[in-house]
Amino acid sequence: MTLRRTLMACMAALALPLAACGDQSDAAKKDGASGERVLNLYTARHYDGDLQVYAAFEKATGIRVNRIEGNPDQLIARMQAEGAASPADVFITADAGALWRAQDAGLLQPITSEVLTSAIPAALREPEGHFFGTSRRARVVAYDSTKVRPEEVDTYEELASPRFRGKLCVRSSDSVYNLSLVGALLEAWGPEKTKAWVEGVVANMARPPEGGDRDQIRAVGAGVCEVAITNSYYFIRMDRSTDPADVALTDKVKLGFPSLNGQGAHVNVSGGGVARNAPHRAEAIAFLEFLASPEAQVLNSEQNNEFPAAVGVQAPAGVREFESFTANPMNVSVYGRRQAEAQSIMSAAGWR
Amino acid sequence: MRLIGVLAALVAVLPLIGVVAAALSGATADIAATDLTRYALTSVALAGIVAAVTGVLGSIAAWLVVMHRFPGRGAFEWALALPFAMPAFAVAYAYADLFDVAGELNSWLRAAAGVALPFQMRSLWGAGFILGFAFFPYVYLAMRAAFTNLPVHALEAARSLGASPRRAFLSVALPMARPALAAGVALAVMETLADYGAVQFLSVQTLTTGVVRAWFVYGSLASAAQFALPLLGAAALLLWIERAGRRRRAYGSPGAKWRPLPVTALTGSKAWLAFAYCLLLLTLGLLLPAGWLAWSSIDVQPDWPRLISAARNTVTLGVGGAVVTVALATALALAARSLPLTARVASIGYATPGAVMAIGLLLPAAWIWSVVPGGSANVVAGLALLLYAYAARLMAAALEPVDAGLSRVTPSMIHAARGLGASEGAAAWRVQLPIAAPALFTAAIVVLVDVLKELPATLILRPFNFDTLAVIADNYARDERLANAGWPSLILVALALPPVIWLSRKAAHARPGSE
Repeated sequence: MTLRRTLMACMAALALPLAACGDQSDAAKKDGASGERVLNLYTARHYDGDLQVYAAFEKATGIRVNRIEGNPDQLIARMQAEGAASPADVFITADAGALWRAQDAGLLQPITSEVLTSAIPAALREPEGHFFGTSRRARVVAYDSTKVRPEEVDTYEELASPRFRGKLCVRSSDSVYNLSLVGALLEAWGPEKTKAWVEGVVANMARPPEGGDRDQIRAVGAGVCEVAITNSYYFIRMDRSTDPADVALTDKVKLGFPSLNGQGAHVNVSGGGVARNAPHRAEAIAFLEFLASPEAQVLNSEQNNEFPAAVGVQAPAGVREFESFTANPMNVSVYGRRQAEAQSIMSAAGWR
Repeated sequence: MRLIGVLAALVAVLPLIGVVAAALSGATADIAATDLTRYALTSVALAGIVAAVTGVLGSIAAWLVVMHRFPGRGAFEWALALPFAMPAFAVAYAYADLFDVAGELNSWLRAAAGVALPFQMRSLWGAGFILGFAFFPYVYLAMRAAFTNLPVHALEAARSLGASPRRAFLSVALPMARPALAAGVALAVMETLADYGAVQFLSVQTLTTGVVRAWFVYGSLASAAQFALPLLGAAALLLWIERAGRRRRAYGSPGAKWRPLPVTALTGSKAWLAFAYCLLLLTLGLLLPAGWLAWSSIDVQPDWPRLISAARNTVTLGVGGAVVTVALATALALAARSLPLTARVASIGYATPGAVMAIGLLLPAAWIWSVVPGGSANVVAGLALLLYAYAARLMAAALEPVDAGLSRVTPSMIHAARGLGASEGAAAWRVQLPIAAPALFTAAIVVLVDVLKELPATLILRPFNFDTLAVIADNYARDERLANAGWPSLILVALALPPVIWLSRKAAHARPGSE
């Protein structure tokens, strides 16, 4: 009898919350009945600030946002498994290379939108309209201003020079940001020079790659290295922080913007595209257009310390101070195509 | 009965078939053989370190607690299993941050003494240490049970022949408990191989790194699955060791009378050493990492509505996963009486790395998504799929206690029931299951705790707008906001503690013949 009672209790315990969450998100599967418009978002961004952007979109358009967050690769794998029945409308990720992977896997469809083409500069979107960059981040250098002069880190070549032998911190080649950076170098320099650069960087490493970008910046602060390769927003987040440790750190560590072939710093984007089988195509385009609007651009920049991508939108105070650098005009859609080659070169050179 | 068992096994094996199918298809990735060798060696080295750390720590702790009396022994007896409640990824967050070269501790040391700690948690040894402390309870629990069930006369014989207590431990107790040691260490190593999150967070590149690179950077699912095959082989081997360990567990002399174990009262410095040792394990496995997470998150304002909703989801999935997994495991165990191989094969999911399991789970998922209305936006189908994934991953964890419980039913009992006219099913329902009920409950608790901490399957298969605590913690950690990752991790620990305490206390009082 005990067993049966235990089983019943378990079933009841299971059924109650299941029923409850069924109620909550029933609309996710059926949207036609009530006439409510919905948008299904697959996003590899997982910042709290994004929730505010979704809320603003819901308020502005009445379209409700359903979301699944995950890392880009898992979301791509999931969309592949879902095939034609995929409910995904928009795929968002924080790296142009990952967007290219989705495009390459045939998961995105090209769209035309007057709003997007006029708001987003050509370099920040895929030429055929498969994806659009909606915010910018530069992959640049945090340096110890007591030991390094700004002009010593104003080109990417210098990072691989003997000047920084044993004095460079950088994360592993598993990081998609590093893959995109080396992909961009491959595009700009070709394989020979890129290979030599990667080998120089490996020779310059103060320690085997470990941790994330923030950890590299902190390592500069702690004197483990003099320069670190980092995405701009991690540094700006620390620069805007009121935490005494971060304040002290950014007194000493500064952000430098090296130039690639004299044309400016390597810029990556966070952005999205419309899914190949999007059941709510119109809503999907409306969402991307909303992300390009000044309201969303500023909100996102304020929350995540990324630079706005849309023409004529200025970053809010705190981020604006870093916005005056020259951005390399290379089209962001080339990074992904070069990532496999980049990975092979980096692995061969011992960039773990 | 057999049919149900075979079906249950099929359910568990389907993802593995998916992996093999993927391995045979499509283009391969351009990953250098030297890199692969390095990943494989790192995996082996990590498994070796974890085996050594958990084996030594867990055995000594169990020996102290079972055979000695010292201050705090009664509490340590169950408390030493508590690190179970701490997900490995949370332990990794805490230690990586605490001992980071630019972290608060090292910064303070540099300022105060001009030196930094000479070791790094983000390394092979660091990962071995962290996983060792996260997983030693497996060995501790197995060894505690083994020592508790030692036949007293064997120890007395050793002592009366002049063996010192240490010698009696090394040459009598330890060899007799060897099967339990193998089983406990095998579980710890399986968890190490299956780990998702902790090892990658610590920048240690194992075969999982190869799988992820091949799959995503090179876009080759085939290569990814091929790298996964040796991991599946290792999983099968470990399971075999674990099962073999259990088969030979009974060294017993069936006729011997059960008497209380000869407990040695430790005094003076020895007593305090034993106390300090146990406290150290508990501190490094639970108190320090949990405490550091709490300390780092103090300034962060938690997003309560989101955390509460995630906690509710987590518990729902935990209970659901426990019921489904134990039901399937029970069907499997009943059938396994006549088909022993099925149970073993169905257990491989437990030692399969999360990234590999994700590849395999997408195969059955694709079928389900293609037949249900709304595809993967169908919440009910989505949750059912998750429960299924947990069953596939955690079958082994449930199977062990269920199997042990069912083995208490002797064939003669079943024969009696059948002789009285009960069908096979009725005999199972009215005789075998009621007798095994406590074991089924234990199995459910074990699965519950594992599901609470589960990450890879949840990440890839969950329905819209559905977060668990582990998912939120992982999101924050990947955004390099460790302080924010602290809250969901700590709530997770708080949820997992009561069932772990219950489990440990129950197992602590399980000496046959004693009350």
